[in-house]
Amino acid sequence: MSVSNLLENWSKFRHNHPVEDKGHPDWQAYPSEIKWAMAIDLDACTGCNACSVACYAENNLPVVGKEKYSHGQAMHWMRIERYWDEDNREFPDQGAQFLPMLCQQCEAAPCETVCPVGATNHTEDGLNSQIYNRCIGSRYCSANCPYKVRYFNWYDYPSTENVWPAPMEQQLNPDLTVRGKGVMEKCTFCKQRTYTARNNAKTEGRKIHDGDVQTACQQACPTNAISFGNLFDPESRVAKQWEQQQVELIKAEQEKDVKPGNNLRGYRIFEELRPYPSVMYLERVRENGV
Amino acid sequence: MSKRHMLALYNNFDEAEAVVRELRSTEIKGFKAADDLIVKSPIEHPEVEKFLGHKPVNVQWFTLLGATLGGLLAFTLISGSQANFYAQMKGGKPIVPIPPDLVLTYEMFILGGVYITVLGFLICAGLPAKRSALYSAKVSEDQIGLLVTVDDSSAATLRNIFTKHQALEIQEEAGK
Amino acid sequence: MGKDIREDIAWAQINTDVLKSLENPRKLFWVIIFVALMMFGVGVGCEVYQYQTGMGVAGLNNPNVWGLYIATFIFWIGMSHSGTLLSAILHLMHADWRKPIYRFAEAMTTFSLMTAGLFVMVHLGRLWQFYYAVPYPNERWTWPNFQSPLLWDAMAIFTYLSSSVIFLYVGSIPDFAICRDNVHPGWRKKLYTLLALGWEGTDRQWRNFRVTYLTVACFLIPLAVSVHSIVASDFAMSQQPGWHVTSFPPYFVAGALYSGCAAIITLFIILRYVFKFEEYMTMPILKKTVRLTFAIAMVWTYLNWVEFATVWYSHDEVAKGVLIDKATGRFAPFWWAMNFCGSVVPFTMMIKRLQTNIPVMFAVSLLLNLGMWLERFMIVSPTFSHGYYPWTMDANYWPSMVQWGIVFGSFGWFTLLFMTFCKIVPSVSMYEVKEMVYHRSLATKKAELGLEGGH
Repeated sequence: MSVSNLLENWSKFRHNHPVEDKGHPDWQAYPSEIKWAMAIDLDACTGCNACSVACYAENNLPVVGKEKYSHGQAMHWMRIERYWDEDNREFPDQGAQFLPMLCQQCEAAPCETVCPVGATNHTEDGLNSQIYNRCIGSRYCSANCPYKVRYFNWYDYPSTENVWPAPMEQQLNPDLTVRGKGVMEKCTFCKQRTYTARNNAKTEGRKIHDGDVQTACQQACPTNAISFGNLFDPESRVAKQWEQQQVELIKAEQEKDVKPGNNLRGYRIFEELRPYPSVMYLERVRENGV
Repeated sequence: MSKRHMLALYNNFDEAEAVVRELRSTEIKGFKAADDLIVKSPIEHPEVEKFLGHKPVNVQWFTLLGATLGGLLAFTLISGSQANFYAQMKGGKPIVPIPPDLVLTYEMFILGGVYITVLGFLICAGLPAKRSALYSAKVSEDQIGLLVTVDDSSAATLRNIFTKHQALEIQEEAGK
Repeated sequence: MGKDIREDIAWAQINTDVLKSLENPRKLFWVIIFVALMMFGVGVGCEVYQYQTGMGVAGLNNPNVWGLYIATFIFWIGMSHSGTLLSAILHLMHADWRKPIYRFAEAMTTFSLMTAGLFVMVHLGRLWQFYYAVPYPNERWTWPNFQSPLLWDAMAIFTYLSSSVIFLYVGSIPDFAICRDNVHPGWRKKLYTLLALGWEGTDRQWRNFRVTYLTVACFLIPLAVSVHSIVASDFAMSQQPGWHVTSFPPYFVAGALYSGCAAIITLFIILRYVFKFEEYMTMPILKKTVRLTFAIAMVWTYLNWVEFATVWYSHDEVAKGVLIDKATGRFAPFWWAMNFCGSVVPFTMMIKRLQTNIPVMFAVSLLLNLGMWLERFMIVSPTFSHGYYPWTMDANYWPSMVQWGIVFGSFGWFTLLFMTFCKIVPSVSMYEVKEMVYHRSLATKKAELGLEGGH
């Protein structure tokens, strides 16, 4: 932290996400050849909620109970949204659609700029970070989020009854904290897992391979609907999916959407608001679309 | 010759003005109208400048200093802190964003201006002030007071001038 | 219309009349203080409960993360603007009629800001760490995020509050001198002697005073405008539908002036009656204030409708959805009440007979402020209830009793502060009223001489 350090390295530091160049700062431990991204295949998704439950287990999420849930105070970092196509079809259940929604880890996140204390920032591996002990609970980040994927600790869950009734507190993940009241939290793409994977790769002197790290939701999904990995690694499954769907991270409007006759299923939600989300959804193949 | 204070009270500004003009025009030993005369009034009366003679008001130099310092300091500190804390990058925005910095610079420009102006006021007006040797509560009510510092020998002259212009009251410090 | 003030009021009389208001209070004063204390106690109780249990007791949820605390915060900040308007802007414009009324208006500014500050704290999930938002050097080299409009709020409100307090104090120094000279010995005399800083009304003091007052007034005007624009940018700088509107800064400033002027009318009527200030807070001055409020009401109405019009003519379906939801959804009764109180009720102020009708104007001013509070509520909540994301639209939200309790308590806090002020600081500026009388008597004399000379 000094003026000389700053001046020497200004060109390295002075870059914006979304970046068009790959000349990222060369941090000591974690070279930023990593950009974590996800792709979720809605056709494969059955709405089983396994990802949501896995997330609860992995990230020490409190189960708030029926009453608080009905007040809208649930803590599900990964939520399955149900939508119904009500078009007078013969079998109404066929109109159900499921959307697993989680923090989109936007490259130009609307939440980052508005936190008054700087509790949410952009990491060098392309994640939107939330620093629990810096958060003072102003909730501006959630106000600004278009997806409303940020969850606030409305109560002090560690000290509340029946949140982790014995012996459930034994399954709490020691790799991350249990948050107290007044703090904002959200999906971190299983930071504790990516961090470990990067550490291991560095120790072994190699790059991260695709499949080294799986997020909890990806791991639990029975249909492999979720793919997660390094978007900058051309061999990773997620990079290949993005490439196939012709969805580019740094564009607010994809070229394929402008051209007529587009049959590709890949899209990002609220792309036009230009947060540059890192999660691509693959649209469900509908009966009439085939 | 020892100095003593005298305070004369008048009903309105016109009478006070007449007294001051006479004091300025008359040669009185040991008394300089410019330095030894203070006009005390319950309200401000800019015309006092005319018959007292022009005296400079330096408060606005403080304003200039305070405002520029406030703005510069704010911009430097804020951009400096942002530039040195690049670990807290905000996606999609530069590390030292100019629009927010300018908003805060503007606010601190005003803050600096107001604080230093008031400091300047206190300095230029000499507040908190030691109370004068002679004071009448009527000055804060509805009378104009003229406080003079004069040699003992000229006291009588002044007393005459005061009485000539219908002074409501003349206070004198007891001889030292 | 009649004269703003009689030009033959004796200056000594002004002193006596105003100093009478500082005498030991009557029983009614203590009754009202007790009531205000009880109200504040309710607020404190609710806050203690919330502090210990968590923000969830406020009834907030995802996505309705902001509620009455933010709405009332903006309401109180807004109310503070008219003090500056009267003090600073009308001073620059040499509008003498402000002289008897600006002192309590400025006090209203200061205390509104103090009340607003409470809401910032109450709204935070981790109130005990609010100081993270203060830029101070620490061993972790962390600084607040200067890009955040909430942080600009913090800086701007700090600036505005401290500048207002300083302005109020400096402007009261000559009056403290009068109090010092006329009060019986005791704690009051000691207090006034301290506060008066040895002021004796010398030409040197007046000369510098005049320039200082003018300079600080010149700073306060852009400050007042920028403070509420910054508060507006909490909303305008976000992307949310119904908030991302460029006209928000002027809209908020207009709303602020509006609610402040309405509050001035309310306090004017109260103080006039309680302290028998009929000679100073005259009917012509009330009329002028009422007309000013009407003008601002029309500005606010225009900006309000401009917001509707721009949304209506835009292709922004989401913003249109919010507007339609405001007019027809859960919050519809409040939205329509806001429009009625804010745009229709002011027209009573154009009826000449009613402009000086005290009960009517009192009721009208309260209704106007109700409308303005509803406006802030309508800015905050509908956007959350009907935002971008459809899945969030069925999260039924209503503020809980805890929120209402704290809002209620804030009025008690304000009343406490204001009533204490009225008994310690002269609520009418004595020296300025003397100036007003003096200049009027000069003008009358000149007119008479002119008439005589003409013959």
